[in-house]
Amino acid sequence: MSAAGGLISLLVGTVLLRLVLSGAYGRYVRPGMGLWLAVAGVVVVAIGLATLLQALGHRQPADAHDHHRHGGDRVGWLLLAPIAALLLVAPPTLGSYGVGRAAGVEVRAGAGVLDPLAAGARPVPMTLLEFGQRAFDRDGASFNGAAVQLTGFVAGADAGGFRLARYQIACCAADAAPVVARVVGRGAPPRDRWVTVTGTFQPGGRELPELAASNVVEVAPPDDPYE
Amino acid sequence: MVVVAAAALRPLLERLLDRPAVAHWATVFVAIAVQAMPFLVLGVLVSAAVAALVPAGLLARLLPRRPALAVPVAAAAGVALPGCECGSVPVAGRLLARGALPGAALAFLLSSPAVNPVVLTATAVAFPGRPEVVVARFLASLLAATAVGLLWARGGRDELLERVRRRGEVEGRPLGVLLATAQHDLLQAGGFLIVGAATAATLQTVVPRSVLDAVAGAGPLAFLALAALAVAMAICSEADAFVAASLTQFSLSARLAFMVVGPMVDVKLIALQAGTFGRGFALRFAPLTLVVALASSALVGWWLL
Repeated sequence: MSAAGGLISLLVGTVLLRLVLSGAYGRYVRPGMGLWLAVAGVVVVAIGLATLLQALGHRQPADAHDHHRHGGDRVGWLLLAPIAALLLVAPPTLGSYGVGRAAGVEVRAGAGVLDPLAAGARPVPMTLLEFGQRAFDRDGASFNGAAVQLTGFVAGADAGGFRLARYQIACCAADAAPVVARVVGRGAPPRDRWVTVTGTFQPGGRELPELAASNVVEVAPPDDPYE
Repeated sequence: MVVVAAAALRPLLERLLDRPAVAHWATVFVAIAVQAMPFLVLGVLVSAAVAALVPAGLLARLLPRRPALAVPVAAAAGVALPGCECGSVPVAGRLLARGALPGAALAFLLSSPAVNPVVLTATAVAFPGRPEVVVARFLASLLAATAVGLLWARGGRDELLERVRRRGEVEGRPLGVLLATAQHDLLQAGGFLIVGAATAATLQTVVPRSVLDAVAGAGPLAFLALAALAVAMAICSEADAFVAASLTQFSLSARLAFMVVGPMVDVKLIALQAGTFGRGFALRFAPLTLVVALASSALVGWWLL
């Protein structure tokens, strides 16, 4: 197992570094994790290389206790499963499938009285979370009539429009919680397509905050797909 | 051969990923594995450093000999390992191999993912303006870890841990020991982490959310439901507070149970513990811990929340 083990470590570390360098890790974890992933990648590469060199260098490894390691080590091969997935297909960012299944973000938590937006020329880009919080705060008074711009993916068609969603993640995609808004006044683009919607807040949405859309543009999925 | 296999596999995998459920599963699976890696590496390095640098028997001499003292001390020492549960398993295994009292090593195993400053800070951020949640989490986790450690010291079957106590005492120069231990622990803990990540991703993809909402208002049942969710979701202890904060249909006490149980018992941890300490151990230890963690969070929740 020694040489093979070193090879597995080397592969795991390399793939971690590749994830960081290509920026693809943003699909799975918070952008702030990048540095730690890089450090972990370097350490794992070093462990793998050293093990490999040692195993190839002298045929008689120091681990004479190999015989009572039975079974325990074979499980290490399983590390190749996510490696293969990442190298062959690179699983996508979370999409609309999970929107109805995960617990939604509680927009009421932590939202106090928000400063009013300047009603003016340009639409204000904001996160779906902020949109939800402003909608909840005094029934959207803080929007002040200003146009806003939201970017997210299409989570399905709805009466007179569609649902726009984006996930919040705290650590990794396993703890993702969707924030959802309803876009009205425009037809639904295909499910899971990323769009930027410009429009104004429309009071009276019952379960979801509503945005009366004046413009819907399809965009490329952002580098950091989560809020 | 590998290249041929990869070329044949790729279109197949791509077709599979066109199904939203499969894509969701794959993303969650890879995400758990990727985000655990830095913590796993930290744990593996600490474990290897203990193996290489701490002389055999030193720990046993340093720690108090009486379980009544050693277990709470070890549980409180968990504050010092900043990380999540993936890192604490190899460290606790190493402590055992180095002659620490089993009850004390297990108390450390349970407390460190829950009571370290990183996790407590995350909890404070997730529950703004509710410092009592942080205090309750700290106390309930410490209480549960100490109780499990003491219970194990009284009536636990230490022979279940024989394997890890006899295991892998590599002799040689410190650097060689460091390397051999790190490589061994990395593959072993990493492999079982993959088993756990796959299980958690499957449960997250398959179990519909409506099942959970149905029991939210049902008192003690809600309590058990969130504990079960913590076991099934297997999210990192640094993130679970944010998920708990979003489960607003549940009472604060039930959400406390989610945060106390999660770092101590979940599908990923059970796989890791089974791999490190043995299956027979994990089969007894996980239910014991679950019951104690539930009791502890019920008690502290009733008192503080």
